[in-house]
Amino acid sequence: MVVRQYNEELKYLEKINPYCWKIKKGFQPNMNVEGVFYVNSTLEKLMLDELKNSCRPGMTGGFLPGVKQIANVAALPGIVGRSVGLPDVHSGYGFAIGNMAAFDMSDPTSIVSPGGVGFDINCGVRLLRTNLHEKDIKPIKEQLTQSLFDHIPVGVGSKGIIPMNARDLEEALEMGMDWSLREGYVWAEDKEHCEEYGRMLNADPSKVSLRSKKRGLPQLGTLGAGNHYAEIQVVDEVYDKYAAGKMGIDRIGQVCVMIHSGSRGFGHQVATDALVQMEKAMKRDQIETNDRQLACARIHSVEGQDYLKAMAAAANFAWVNRSSMTFLTRQAFAKQFKMAPDDLDMHLIYDVSHNIAKIEEHVVDGKVKTLLVHRKGSTRAFPPNHPLIPVDYQLTGQPVLIGGTMGTCSYVLTGTHQGMTETFGSTCHGAGRALSRAKSRRNLDYKDVLSKLEDLGISIRVASPKLVMEEAPESYKNVTDVVNTCHAAGISKKTFKLRPIAVIKG
Amino acid sequence: MSNIFKLKLSALGHPNPETFNCEDEKEYRSVVLWLEDQKIRHYKIEEREGLRNIDDDAWISAYNTYQNDLVSPVTEGTPNEQLNWLLSYAVRLEYADNAEKYKEAKYEQPKQAAPNVVTSNPLDNLDFDCPAFKAGVERICTLAGVGPHLDPKFRLAALAKILNTKPHPDPPTTEANIIQQPADVLKLLFVQDLRELQTTINEALVAVQTVTADPRTDTKLGRVGR
Repeated sequence: MVVRQYNEELKYLEKINPYCWKIKKGFQPNMNVEGVFYVNSTLEKLMLDELKNSCRPGMTGGFLPGVKQIANVAALPGIVGRSVGLPDVHSGYGFAIGNMAAFDMSDPTSIVSPGGVGFDINCGVRLLRTNLHEKDIKPIKEQLTQSLFDHIPVGVGSKGIIPMNARDLEEALEMGMDWSLREGYVWAEDKEHCEEYGRMLNADPSKVSLRSKKRGLPQLGTLGAGNHYAEIQVVDEVYDKYAAGKMGIDRIGQVCVMIHSGSRGFGHQVATDALVQMEKAMKRDQIETNDRQLACARIHSVEGQDYLKAMAAAANFAWVNRSSMTFLTRQAFAKQFKMAPDDLDMHLIYDVSHNIAKIEEHVVDGKVKTLLVHRKGSTRAFPPNHPLIPVDYQLTGQPVLIGGTMGTCSYVLTGTHQGMTETFGSTCHGAGRALSRAKSRRNLDYKDVLSKLEDLGISIRVASPKLVMEEAPESYKNVTDVVNTCHAAGISKKTFKLRPIAVIKG
Repeated sequence: MSNIFKLKLSALGHPNPETFNCEDEKEYRSVVLWLEDQKIRHYKIEEREGLRNIDDDAWISAYNTYQNDLVSPVTEGTPNEQLNWLLSYAVRLEYADNAEKYKEAKYEQPKQAAPNVVTSNPLDNLDFDCPAFKAGVERICTLAGVGPHLDPKFRLAALAKILNTKPHPDPPTTEANIIQQPADVLKLLFVQDLRELQTTINEALVAVQTVTADPRTDTKLGRVGR
């Protein structure tokens, strides 16, 4: 890493408009393209402070600041356009979380990197609507929360309640949501409203280690720990009445359920296995990167292809996982209200992936190109009329689900044409960490966090209350700042806002 | 045909409806005799001699007389058609004997495997004659420009047609571009076609689900983590 004074570093950064900064070549060695990041004045201060801290003498060797990571990604072989940092960007393994980068499939040196996908492959958010109103929930809120907690196992080491054997898992890995559909856990309409229709076609379970499958099998249908959660939310504010209407949201106070989860231990193991393989491939093909964590392999190499196939299987795992939890959520509601989920209108509004690499077509310098788009902590946000979004959203643009932090709020946005040209149809994914986990544990008390939620009238069930401060709103950037930045920068458009009334988490 | 025979024979309580083969002359004749002996009883016992001689060639003529005596409408038909009528006739007699009892019988729906089978359509309970319904239809029809008609249901149907074919937002008030406008129309028509296609796909998936779906949960497997 180049060590420079903060003032020197600033020379490589240029504010091109109130919501966007450019990272010029030379900020990090060997940059093939420029970097860019989206911030408003509040987030800008956080970004620059992080950089400033890392420039203090004696600070080398710690976490790389997000800006540096964005620039390191810009130095990877085959990258096209720009390395993009979204407003919720914070440092992660290799790639910053909230970083997207696209690589040209026709360039034989282009790479795929597990660090650009993240360890929780196909971590994502799904949103179910209901025809209930907040006042319908109030009298039985505690029972409903408990019922959800009983149906969906949470926490590290939790096990699901949907019986599965090894053969079921193989099929689920290959078929994704089609498996859930075949077995009757989801509705046909759910598949229609899921990114990729809930199935990556290039998934190959034979490329997945036995260890991953062993870890994954008992965990299907569980929420997990960390920042994952299931929340009962109510519509708090509608910004785009037409788009909200298309999603079946027609009034303030309407109840929705948001599920935020991923591929659990399965995806983590797939990523870990791939990193080992890729280090070998890097030596063989002499791929140089600025950071050891940016382990990668050429897309068309054996290691690259194996990773993409295993990653697709992990993505399918995550979709089956979220589908199973959808089934359990519908069951919990049906039991409490003694009505069929159909009659409660519990339709899936959408399901987004925010940790994934996908092959997509984009226009680069006026030419259509096939790219491998890495989105890590970044949500796909395709514009209206894009062929890959469901027919119901053809006129509004793809719904983008932004899960906030525990106890704050969540947003639904839609994709825009400007986002398609500026960020390869990508936008933010959530609040984004401001304090590290360790730091939040030191600075906050879990009792304060829980009582604060109680004061807000939010029911909460957690498996490990003592870790709850890691996920406290104080540990994160303000999701409203993040979303407003995306809206103001034009890379996605606000549709409505949700406020939680009950939370279950690990 | 043999399936129908099987159903009717088992309904009548024949000892072995499963194995009955209507092509076998001997079995055919014995079933006819069984029907007369046990169910139809049109002749006195001593008059059934002609039908009883199953192995005799004269059986055919006895059978023909029997059918004429019963006034069967299919005496000219194939043997299978003749037997089918006889069976139906026997079932009819059986039912008439015990009409009260069979009236109580309920047909049990086979249990469907798909989840959430309970569907109730709130529209089913609508009172189409109440003034509130009529006023509502009147109001929405004025908005959508549907002309007057005596029957509000008729107008509602017209309205549904309009809403189905116009799935788009209000047209922009600004002066639209001469190229943009036809392009938009094409896009909307495309979206409409796509919606129909997707609906057909969903229906196909649901149809398959009724065969394959068997969602299960086992709460004993569950474990909450740390």
